[in-house]
Amino acid sequence: MAFLALERVSKHYGAMAAVDDAALTIEKGEFVSLLGPSGCGKTTTLQMIAGLVEPSAGRIVLDGRDITNEKPNRRGLGVVFQSYALFPHMTVAENVTFGLEMRRVPRSERIERVREMLALVQLSVFADRYPREMSGGQRQRVAIARALVIAPPVLLLDEPLSNLDAKLREEMQFELRRIQRKVGTTTIMVTHDQAEALSISDRVVVMEQGRMTQVDAPYRLYEQPSNAFIASFVGKTNLIAGVWRRDGMAGAVDIGGIRLEAPSADFPAGTPVTLSIRPEKILLRKAGEGQLDGRIASRFFLGSQWLFTLETPIGTITVSIPNQGEEPPAEGATVGLDWSPASLRVIASAMAHPGGGTA
Amino acid sequence: MQKNGPLALLFHGLVVAFVLAPLVIICLVAFTPENTLSLPTGGVSLRWFKAVFAHPDFVASFWNSIWLATLSATLAVAFAVPAGLAISRFTFAGRDALNALFLSPLIIPHLVLGVAFLRLFALVGATGSFSWLVATHIVIVTPYVLRLVLAALSGLDRSAEQAALTLGASSWTTFRRITAPMILPGITGGWLLAFINSFDELTMSIFVTAPATVTLPVRMYMYATESIDPMMAAVSALMIALTAAAMLVLDRAFGLDKILVGQR
Repeated sequence: MAFLALERVSKHYGAMAAVDDAALTIEKGEFVSLLGPSGCGKTTTLQMIAGLVEPSAGRIVLDGRDITNEKPNRRGLGVVFQSYALFPHMTVAENVTFGLEMRRVPRSERIERVREMLALVQLSVFADRYPREMSGGQRQRVAIARALVIAPPVLLLDEPLSNLDAKLREEMQFELRRIQRKVGTTTIMVTHDQAEALSISDRVVVMEQGRMTQVDAPYRLYEQPSNAFIASFVGKTNLIAGVWRRDGMAGAVDIGGIRLEAPSADFPAGTPVTLSIRPEKILLRKAGEGQLDGRIASRFFLGSQWLFTLETPIGTITVSIPNQGEEPPAEGATVGLDWSPASLRVIASAMAHPGGGTA
Repeated sequence: MQKNGPLALLFHGLVVAFVLAPLVIICLVAFTPENTLSLPTGGVSLRWFKAVFAHPDFVASFWNSIWLATLSATLAVAFAVPAGLAISRFTFAGRDALNALFLSPLIIPHLVLGVAFLRLFALVGATGSFSWLVATHIVIVTPYVLRLVLAALSGLDRSAEQAALTLGASSWTTFRRITAPMILPGITGGWLLAFINSFDELTMSIFVTAPATVTLPVRMYMYATESIDPMMAAVSALMIALTAAAMLVLDRAFGLDKILVGQR
């Protein structure tokens, strides 16, 4: 039985559905990310779980208890807000102890638990500082400590890393995962950053226009995106429109007369499809030795890798290859593009049919 | 730090001099030994200060004004904070009308208000009542408090309140422990403005005070219409000294920046 369940939850603002018929079950101790572009309904979903927004329809069940209409101050969930929402007039220790005070935890126990929690987030020496005297990363950890000290059954994180600079964000991702593993709290994180979602989640929920369109482990999500939007939103990819042709046991896709071998899929012949090839799955060979030839239109050096755009008969293709210590072909050169047919993904073209179509 | 050019310095100097000149002159005049409003060229004297304290009417009026300003500022805060919360947080029928109603005393001339209240007092038989005087002052000072409370609320990060709720606080506890401390600079600033406005108010008070409730500005006005002598200057100098002392104490105790601007 699921620990937290959203049962056909919707939120309508007038005629607009911010969240449409969301269904999700989360197991105890899981780290789940809600991933999507802004306005996709991910924050509204989180706020409905927190109790800050009332669902228009559906039920939210926590550990067998229906909490759909329960006030946020009775749910006992830990929430970390995007702005951190620290109390500016209280010290770090006072911020963290607030939730325990509200629970009427005895003073001696409060002091002990705040001390432990500040040690967990490595802020013990900052207990008497005010939030304004701390850096963004430190405030973030105060917010996490404040949310976790009440030992909530579920921790809700709303874009927790978006206010940090790139380097700190990367560090905090792993810090967040470390803390979550240590305390074992079931965690739901809202993010628009696919790299963040992939790197620290057990499962990722992709949301588009209020709907949950795919729920999968990060690796499966990356390798088996269920529609073209997810393929391009999660990681980078080349999307090429074509027509499905059945070709014996395997499949094939016809792109303007060029036939590419593809993994078998369940489409009737003649279906318009979208082909997805990840830039890193393509290898560069000598001209004529790959599946296609292409001319290098531009070449960028990114340190750990090289990024190419190639003009090919099937359109402009992006390719990335690791930096192996040898300079690759220059701009203007003609090279062969090669890939394993198994690394292609064939996706139904129509966006209105997001459920099916993975290979 | 960028330096000001000579022209800018001259301009700023003139503005400061223009603002300070009346205060300086009135304070100097207060020390005159003469019987007319004149600068103390031939020695200084404290005779006009003695004259103020020999006038029990002035002392009584001073305390009247203090009480009136304290009560009306405090009650205005008690009305303006809930009103501000309602206006900034909720949309309800008549919200804009309520906002306009609360601010209207700023637009209506105090003279008109004075006449209207005088008529109302006569109708209800409340002439000479101190509580009714307080009520009229609440009407004219509430807009100041409401403006500052609304400004403080609009700058408030509401997620801090939501955070308190999710941590188990009730709405009342959230207001008391989180919202109120966060908008405190607006509240204290509003209270101070209200106090000062009530304390200084003359035009309306002329109509609504009775012999037992005469406020200091009204007393000064009544005195000045009968005789111009340096006692007025002495009263003014005392007021300036008192205000300066109060500001100094507030600044030392809490920091004026913290009270009025919210910096710490």
